[in-house]
Amino acid sequence: MTAAAPRATGRVLRLFLPLALYLVFTVVPFYWMLLFALRPAGSTSLLPWPLTFEHFDTVWNGMGFRVYFQNSVWIALLTLVFVTFFALMGGYALARFKFRGQRAFLLALLCTQFVPGAMMLIPLFNIFQTFDLINSRWSLIIAETTFQLPLAMILMSGFVRNVPVELEESAMMDGCGRIRAFLAVVLPLLRPGIVAVGSFAFIGSWNNFLFALMFLNDPELQTVPVGLQTTIGENTVDFGALAAGGVVAAVPVVLVFAFVQKYLVQGMSTGAVKG
Amino acid sequence: MSRTLRTTAAALAALGLLTACGSSGSSSDSGGKTTITFWDNNAGPARTPLYQKLIADFEKANPTITVKYVGVTSAEVAEKYNTAIASNSTPDVGGVTTALLASLTAQKALDPLDERYAKSALNGKIAANFLEISKSASGGKGLFQLPSSGNQDVIWYRADKFKEAGLSAPKTWDELFAAAAKLTDKGKNQYGFTIRGGAGSGFQVLSEAYAYSGLTTMFDAAGKSTVDDPKNVALIEKIAAQYKATTPEADVSNAYPQMLAQFQANQVMMVHHNLGSTRDVKTALGDKVAGFLLPAGPDGTSVLANPVDGFSLFKNSKHKDAAWKFVEFLDSHEANSYWNQNVGQIPANTEAYADEWYTTSGITKQAGDSLNSPTTKLVQPPVYLPQYSKITKTDAEPNFQKVLLGKTSAADFAKSVADAFTKAQADYQAKNK
Repeated sequence: MTAAAPRATGRVLRLFLPLALYLVFTVVPFYWMLLFALRPAGSTSLLPWPLTFEHFDTVWNGMGFRVYFQNSVWIALLTLVFVTFFALMGGYALARFKFRGQRAFLLALLCTQFVPGAMMLIPLFNIFQTFDLINSRWSLIIAETTFQLPLAMILMSGFVRNVPVELEESAMMDGCGRIRAFLAVVLPLLRPGIVAVGSFAFIGSWNNFLFALMFLNDPELQTVPVGLQTTIGENTVDFGALAAGGVVAAVPVVLVFAFVQKYLVQGMSTGAVKG
Repeated sequence: MSRTLRTTAAALAALGLLTACGSSGSSSDSGGKTTITFWDNNAGPARTPLYQKLIADFEKANPTITVKYVGVTSAEVAEKYNTAIASNSTPDVGGVTTALLASLTAQKALDPLDERYAKSALNGKIAANFLEISKSASGGKGLFQLPSSGNQDVIWYRADKFKEAGLSAPKTWDELFAAAAKLTDKGKNQYGFTIRGGAGSGFQVLSEAYAYSGLTTMFDAAGKSTVDDPKNVALIEKIAAQYKATTPEADVSNAYPQMLAQFQANQVMMVHHNLGSTRDVKTALGDKVAGFLLPAGPDGTSVLANPVDGFSLFKNSKHKDAAWKFVEFLDSHEANSYWNQNVGQIPANTEAYADEWYTTSGITKQAGDSLNSPTTKLVQPPVYLPQYSKITKTDAEPNFQKVLLGKTSAADFAKSVADAFTKAQADYQAKNK
């Protein structure tokens, strides 16, 4: 036996075995979800066979998930746009300007993260009611943007700080104004930050349940998380529909992560750690 | 593409988004039509289409009234109602179970229905016991909910497996435990019974205890809770002894979805739930499943009243007459019968008891007969106590888990629940002298 053999065994035990166990731990719930979504009601098979799409048909066409999905997409995309836009402006200001009360402002931003959404429910409800925004998707977009913006601004300011200020100064010496210098020089370098902040905004908005439940009444305006909850009744539960709805709810989040994971890891390490 | 063109395209796209996210508008009266808002308190794929059909029928019969349906899931309905009350935006009419009634009446959100019911064509047709449960749930202050459906605890069992084992439906708790032992085969991952150790365990174990003890009230004449009566404790001990002997180990944290999933997956042979799951178990198992009412103990049996479903008018409604008309329609013979046939529950309208589906419904009729029988000892849970939910859920559920895990005794568990009930009842009576 060569010396490489024990090394390989050790590597398997130290690295691959824990990873494999962790993978099983992570994948089993997904498999459970797919299994229940794809096998017929009442089946006890451990394989999704015979394959059926009846549960997807039930949730998509029968339970209105087609509408819920469209609503969730609009709300999440607009939240992403607003959060990213305002986070860019706020983050830039925090990173590049010194102003009186800056530390207190940063502290206040951080403190907003300690307030649970449920606590703000009734004040928000009253505000939206005053502006006739109850039962409007704008209530969700505004509430989500407001709640996500503080953390997004703090994250973004970290990204901006990592862009050498000399680059902007050079651009300004070449005749650019601050806005032009920001758009031409800083913004392209902020791509990982934009992706990270945008992803968090999208996923946070996509998954939000409480605000959608409280601010929207019309079934035509509801979102996927609220629709998902309707598969569990007081005394009944439709596991097939629940699992199929879970797949519908998970797909956009999985896709977002698949496309942006490279930027996300890079962005998180840059913005959060060094920031 | 020129910059102007790009800017125009972006503006149009933004306009499109704005349009897509606009408000759907709120309900209002127009053209002689009244729009009422109805909140379904247990929306879902099984119930929502039934309401949609009934609303369409109602609107056809009442062309001047439009009903706006809002489906709310049962898990969130209390929060939704509370937010609506706090922000003065309650619906005109809403589905309300007796479990929620005390909280809503305490907040003075509901309109009393005694007078409307007395003048209604429904007067005398709604089951007396249901009305009694409803009035008791609001602390005896009157009628704030018109009952529509009754529920009753049942034990679903695998009739095919019982037949194979030469067993019949148990009539006593001892027969049930013996059947559970006989049907348990741990090697095959098959268990005779399943215990609710997770959410909802508090009410469930109390209903089992009173079915065994036959006690008729939750409080004695001195206002002391009867939960820790030795007969109740005896049953709780027997139930706890089943844990891991004839039940899956996971029961300690299982609520009804997991219990029913195990039952439908052939892992457990008996499951204690209620008529609300009739449709689910029948769809999954067909003729292989049957039900029986909770068995009796040595001194007979009692029934711990389940929440009764019904409809309430909200005080802030500007269209109470139209809303009441809708409630009357939902509780009419035809509509109430249609609804309960499809959800597998007991109709509140007694005219439905002669309908063929009901007379041939087996366990639903059996449960209905039991609930409506004057000889049935109906125990009213004190849902009117503000602390009821805390006592039976927040406090009792983790403590019952400790009983199952052998960390506390059944007697101590029962005493803690009883003491809490006794104190809450004393406080309630002091405030409502």
